[in-house]
Amino acid sequence: MSEVHKATEAPGASEPQGENTRSLRAETWRQFRRHRLAVGGLVVLTLLTVAVVVGPWLLSDPYLIDARASDLGPTLAHPMGTDELGRDQLARVLVGGRLTLAVSAAAVLVALVVGVAVGAVAGYAGGLPDNALMRVVDVFYALPGLFIVILLVALIGPSFWTIVTAIAVLSWMNTARLVRSSFLSLKEKEFVEAARTIGASNARIVSRHILPNALSPVIVSATLGVANAILIESSLSFLGLGFQPPEATWGGMLSESKSAVITLGHWWRGLFPGLMIFITVLSANFVGDGLRDALDPQSAGSKGGRP
Amino acid sequence: MVGPFVVRRMLQAIPLLFGISILIFLMLQMAPGGPLASGEAQSAITPEKIERLRGQYGLDDPLPIQYLNWLGGLMTGDWGISYDTGQPVLQVITERLPTTLVLTGLAFAVSLLIAIPVGIIAATRQYSMFDYASTGLSFAGIATPSFWFGLMLLYVFSFQLDWLPSSGLTDLREDHVGLAAVWDRISHLIMPVAVLALIATANLARYVRASMLEVLGQDYVRTARGSGLPERVVIVQHAGKNASIPVVTIATLMVPDLFLGAVITETIFSIPGMGALFVHSAELRDYPVLLGILVIAAVLVVITNLAADVLYGFLDPRISYE
Repeated sequence: MSEVHKATEAPGASEPQGENTRSLRAETWRQFRRHRLAVGGLVVLTLLTVAVVVGPWLLSDPYLIDARASDLGPTLAHPMGTDELGRDQLARVLVGGRLTLAVSAAAVLVALVVGVAVGAVAGYAGGLPDNALMRVVDVFYALPGLFIVILLVALIGPSFWTIVTAIAVLSWMNTARLVRSSFLSLKEKEFVEAARTIGASNARIVSRHILPNALSPVIVSATLGVANAILIESSLSFLGLGFQPPEATWGGMLSESKSAVITLGHWWRGLFPGLMIFITVLSANFVGDGLRDALDPQSAGSKGGRP
Repeated sequence: MVGPFVVRRMLQAIPLLFGISILIFLMLQMAPGGPLASGEAQSAITPEKIERLRGQYGLDDPLPIQYLNWLGGLMTGDWGISYDTGQPVLQVITERLPTTLVLTGLAFAVSLLIAIPVGIIAATRQYSMFDYASTGLSFAGIATPSFWFGLMLLYVFSFQLDWLPSSGLTDLREDHVGLAAVWDRISHLIMPVAVLALIATANLARYVRASMLEVLGQDYVRTARGSGLPERVVIVQHAGKNASIPVVTIATLMVPDLFLGAVITETIFSIPGMGALFVHSAELRDYPVLLGILVIAAVLVVITNLAADVLYGFLDPRISYE
């Protein structure tokens, strides 16, 4: 494991040997905690995840139709009101949120695996494979993103894995580029040379020595990717191409609410699902920004833009 | 020199476009049952008719032949016939394209007009109330789903206040003349443009601020101030010029996002543009129209990337073209 330590180039060179990996993690956490908005974002995301996982068991049935309770505004019994079928909006928001978060997390994971694999092969192999893979990345970058997602889901049909795949297809390139550039510089380092000298296989060098050192930028990109995936899934559902009724994610609830909001003025139908998307995306962005500042102290400070 | 650089970048764009066209073409083959699957499901279409249609559209040819035929048609202006309306695809698209381009253009202009001054003021008064407020609003803007923003605008300005029309591009119930006609047009565009411009404005304002802050901290700006130049001149001429280089690149790269974002805007406000056409065609599996729109969108992405590169080199003489 000592090879890993050398490459981390932790700023505190005086720290005791052998504790470097842990102390780097501790240092990152310390930096992250100073970013108050990021900590707030993390708390909100955690609460939200717990709420969408546990909430639906505690609340009334989201699919329960109750004609006597239709079109109610927010009350204590129904904090987010009810729809025209009398379904409790809070329960629907929680069940929908579960679906949105699951799709987004799965899409980011798939994109991460593909991106890391492509980036690692390209960066480690170099030469022709690198060139070919990076041209493929260029092609995917130049695809008209949202249109392709709409197309894939409309053609194949809106199942969980179709939507996950469609989002992942357009989200892996950033990771691939980041991993590739890390690999290009790391494979020239002495500790990789040392590992090769003692007879480590390519697979072992990549997985044990290079990869652990190439992951920090990937974590940041994945966090921001979650925010992006949530927005794409919501857009898709808003266009009516996502999960089909009675299943409804936040975007789907907004889509269903349109006529109730603008012709009947039932504002609660539109306000709450959108607010959930907004809060989740905002929190994920804060966490991503905080992680970036913590993992890469050079970027901390005035830089506000996404990479 | 700039000339050869532009030519070389354009030559690089050609294989890229080929790659995209192949990928798009293959994606369309992924639908279970192929292009006519949705039609086959309808009992009204007899197997004989499907057979004839398959022959007519060349769907029995091997894939590479189909691709080359399609590509050849694309070059010669024969973009195929819409399965839905029977009209030539090029005609269907060119009828819808101007609406989307106007929306995109207006949204782009609005985001520049808001984001540039806001970003500059925020940077020159770092840590002021204005800076905190505008930075907070940009964060919020980036996290706001555009369709939700549109829905809430509709609730406030159409349902509650009844100031703005909720859909379409013109008032269909009444013919307006003179100034009323102008207002009719404008009133239909205010909310769609606001919705489309929101995220671009928020993003751009952050970039302008960051870019300005970086430049304002440099020695030559201090020298300019020290030599007694008015603050306005320092900010606009000295700092602004260099801060604009990354901003121009980012702004150019936003154009395709705005163009694609029009799908959502057009759906909320029932505007008959290309985005709405795309969603409609995707539901009907109108392949020739889908392919046509995707090609236009992909070309737009490639051209704006090219433009961003060229502009960057043009604005920053330090960039080497080698």
